[in-house]
Parts: sequence; C-alpha cells; structure tokens
Amino acid sequence: MPPDAVALTDLTVRHGDVLAVDGLDLHVRRGETVALLGPNGAGKSTTVSAVLGLLRPDAGTVRVLGRAPADAVRAGCVGAMLQHGGLPGEARVGEVLHLVRCSYPDPWPLEDLVATTGIGGLLGRDVDALSGGQRQRVLLALALAGQPPLLLLDEPTSAMDVEGRRAFWTTMRDLAAFGTTVVFATHHLEEADAVADRVVVMAGGRVVADGPSAAVRSAVAGRTVRFSAPDGAAFDRVPGVTGATRLGGTVALATTDVEATLRALLADGVALTDLEVRGASLEDAVLSLVGGVR
Amino acid sequence: MSPLFVFQLRRVARNRQFLFFTVLLPALFTVFFTQVFAGTPGGVSPEQATATMVAMMSYGAIGAALGATVRPSFDRASGWLRQLRVTPVPQTSVVAVDVAVGMLLTLPPLAVVALTGRFAGGVRLAPGEWAGLVGVLWLGSAVFVALGLLLGWALEEKAAGGAIGIVGTVLAALGGLWVPVELFPSGLRAVAHGLPSYWYAETGRAAAGGALPPAPAIAALVGFAAVFGGLAVLVARRRPLTAVAG
Repeated sequence: MPPDAVALTDLTVRHGDVLAVDGLDLHVRRGETVALLGPNGAGKSTTVSAVLGLLRPDAGTVRVLGRAPADAVRAGCVGAMLQHGGLPGEARVGEVLHLVRCSYPDPWPLEDLVATTGIGGLLGRDVDALSGGQRQRVLLALALAGQPPLLLLDEPTSAMDVEGRRAFWTTMRDLAAFGTTVVFATHHLEEADAVADRVVVMAGGRVVADGPSAAVRSAVAGRTVRFSAPDGAAFDRVPGVTGATRLGGTVALATTDVEATLRALLADGVALTDLEVRGASLEDAVLSLVGGVR
Repeated sequence: MSPLFVFQLRRVARNRQFLFFTVLLPALFTVFFTQVFAGTPGGVSPEQATATMVAMMSYGAIGAALGATVRPSFDRASGWLRQLRVTPVPQTSVVAVDVAVGMLLTLPPLAVVALTGRFAGGVRLAPGEWAGLVGVLWLGSAVFVALGLLLGWALEEKAAGGAIGIVGTVLAALGGLWVPVELFPSGLRAVAHGLPSYWYAETGRAAAGGALPPAPAIAALVGFAAVFGGLAVLVARRRPLTAVAG
C-alpha cells in the first residue's frame, strides 16, 4: 500500500507559551480533498507549516508521501500557497514562474499552466504592480508549477473576490478529479462544504470533528433563534432546540430544525418580539462540536 | 549557470540606484578628484591619482558588496524566502547564490573605476599591477559580502536599508576612502586601523605599487571575514525558527 499523502502522529507545536497544535493525529490518503476548518487560532496554519517542514514540531512525527517534509518538498512532491508567502520585488511575473518551474522535475507546460491560473496577461508585468487578486493567482501558479501530487493551501482565497473564488475552486476540483491530493485550511464552512470530500474541524490545536463534509455540515449547520422574552420562561423542551441561553431580556435558542421550533413557539402563544433567525457561526458550530466531543 | 543565479542577478541589475551608487558615483569621484585638483597649485601627483583611484575602487566595491547582499532582508519581509522554501530549490543554493551574486557584483565598480582612472585620471600602472590590484580588491570584497549577508539576515527590512547606508558611509569615511588617513588626526587614525575598509584599501595600494599585500592587512581582512561570516551563519541558523510566525 502506498504511504499516506500526509501522516501526522501526535503532532505538538508550541509558539512560546502557546500550545498551537496539541497532539494532533491526522492521516490524509492519496487523492483525498481535505478541508481543515476552524476559527482563527485553531492551529490550521501551524499544521500546514509543519507538513511543509517550515517549522520543527516539539513532539510527534510528520511524514509527507512517506518522506520527511523537507525531503518531499525537495523532491518536488509538494506545491503550496502560504498565508504569509510572497513574491520577490524587482522581478517580473514570468521570471518568477520560470524559476519555480525549473526547480521541479516535471513542470506543468507553461501555456497550460498560464491558462489554468488565468495569468496570461501578467507574465511581463512587474511583481510590484500586481493587484491583490492577481498576486494570489500568481501564487497559485507557483504552487501548481511542478504538477505536484500534493497541494497544501493555507486560506488561499482570503484576498480574492467572489468571481476569483469561484474560478479558484473550480480549478481545485479539476485537479482533485485528476488525482491530486488537496489539503486546504479555511474558516469558511461553505468553501469546505463545496470542495472537500472530507472536512476536519480543528479547535484549540486538536481535531474536534472529522468526516465526510455532509456529516460535518449537519453537525455544524444549526441555526440560532433569538427573541425577547420575559424572565422565567423556559424553552429547553421546544422541539428542535439543543440549547437555550439568555442574555438580559434576549433568549437565544440553538436549534437543528428552525421550522419545528418556530411552529411550536407560535402554537404556545409566545410573543416573538425582535425575532431573529441566523445560521450558526463557525465559532458556534465548533463550540457545539467541542461540547459534543467532551 | 543556475536559474536562481540568473534570476537574482537580473533583479539587482534592474535596480538603477544600485548601479548609480556603486559604479557611476565612484567613477565620477575619481574623475573629480584627479581632474579638479589637477588645476590647483601643486597639481595631483601620479601617486595621489593612483591612491584616489584605489580608494574609489574600494568604495564602489564595498557599496556593491553590501548592497547586493542585504537583499535577504527584503525577500524575507515580502514572504518570498518563505515561498522559496516550499519549492524544490535547496536552501544551500539560495545562500550560495547570494554569495556568488555579491562577489560578482563587486567586479563592475572595480573594472569601471580602474578604466576611469586609466583613461580619465591619468593613472599609469603595469599590466601586472592592474591585474594584481583588481585581483586583491576582488578577493578582499568577500569581507563585505559576509558583512552584507550578516546585516541582511540579522535585520528587518526597514532597519537593513538604513544600516547599509550608515555602515557603508562609516566604513568609507573613517576607513580613509574619502579623505586619506594621513590627513586624519592621530585618534581618528587609530579608529581607521580598526576598520576592515582601511586594510582593504591598504591591500589595493600595495598591489598598485607592485607589492604583495602587507601581512597585517591580510590578517585583519581574514579576521573580519571570519567574524562576519561566523556571525552570519549563526544568525541564519536561528532564522528558520523565528520566521515561523511571520
């Protein structure tokens, strides 16, 4: 059996006093598309950095396609978009791309790469003259330059507009269809849901949920119903409600079935003053998952 | 030639300021000092013209070595060094290319100022003396390549740009490259003797006179190169760990 694309065992990373990644176990099989989903500070970027060999773990092991991270990168098996990666000044886009393509054993044919990443008009451009979205496309082209079997993307769409995001994820789905292993960090549930066939939810440097995106989505897809209610009223038993919290005169009900909850409230004659229904934020979802795990 | 070497060389060559300050400015100074003072009472002796040219060759080469090698600090700030680390380009060749580019870029000021001295400054040396002069100054520039790399790795972007200017100026002014050390008061002369730039120019003056570089100069330059290089390696070793957060 070929080794996993990524194998993390008991990975622990400290940044000074902060425990960024806390005994993480994660195995990504070849060909999988995995989203690392979590709020800021969940340890996603640190995990990606460890897989790329950009930092030395305090404990645990990292294997990338059966090798040490630095060796896998040297062998041209990995392409990456970093959150804090950048382009060199006083250089043209085409020169940077040429340099990176040359470093891989089997570079992606230039024309095809340029067309796929949509940087056709940019090759002669000074790097310093690129817009945020254009930079991001060039960084994608660098990540794909060597046709690597494993792609690691750390919040790749953070500087993109809606259009750019859509094109980006279409490209990723195509690459995944051709067998590329894609691991990406995001804090957008929709991105994870739309692209990944497996979602790993991280919080506090640990995995709090791991499964097919549909399963994770239903676990985190709760809604919150808010309204003003007098003190003393209890709503724990209302259908669909998984939790009730009160802040001043406002009650917040977490529910898995908004419709059933609202019907029941109306049937009971509750005055739904200042009614508000919202999707749970990722933070809420992670909190509910953390609660479920413990 | 490695693609990275070509890439880096092209980037520096594109920087007009760099070319102006390291090649054109020392050449202009050479013309200025040898021609302007030729009209003053007493004129300029051949020895003075040669000394001026050697000082300006040293000044240009120091500026080029420092300016070419401080770049890691800019590339770290832009995130490019981090990006480069996730490509198959080995870290050792990134460093080797920085050294090679620094050494190569000290040649244009040495050559241009020498030609200026010969054809516009009236400096006359034997072919062997020219070769020896350029040769020792080129080898000696390794000291400033090491210093530039040390500053480039140790300092953040904003500090590094300023530091290069200040360090270059101090080395030139107090090392006797702008005003001969013989005109310094004795206290300042002692300071000059503690700077690598003084000993660097000293090897050039010896070579222009057809002599081998004096032993104290060689010892001083080897010592400085070892200290700068050693510190640079120490700083570079610490860098990968501290660069993680940014």
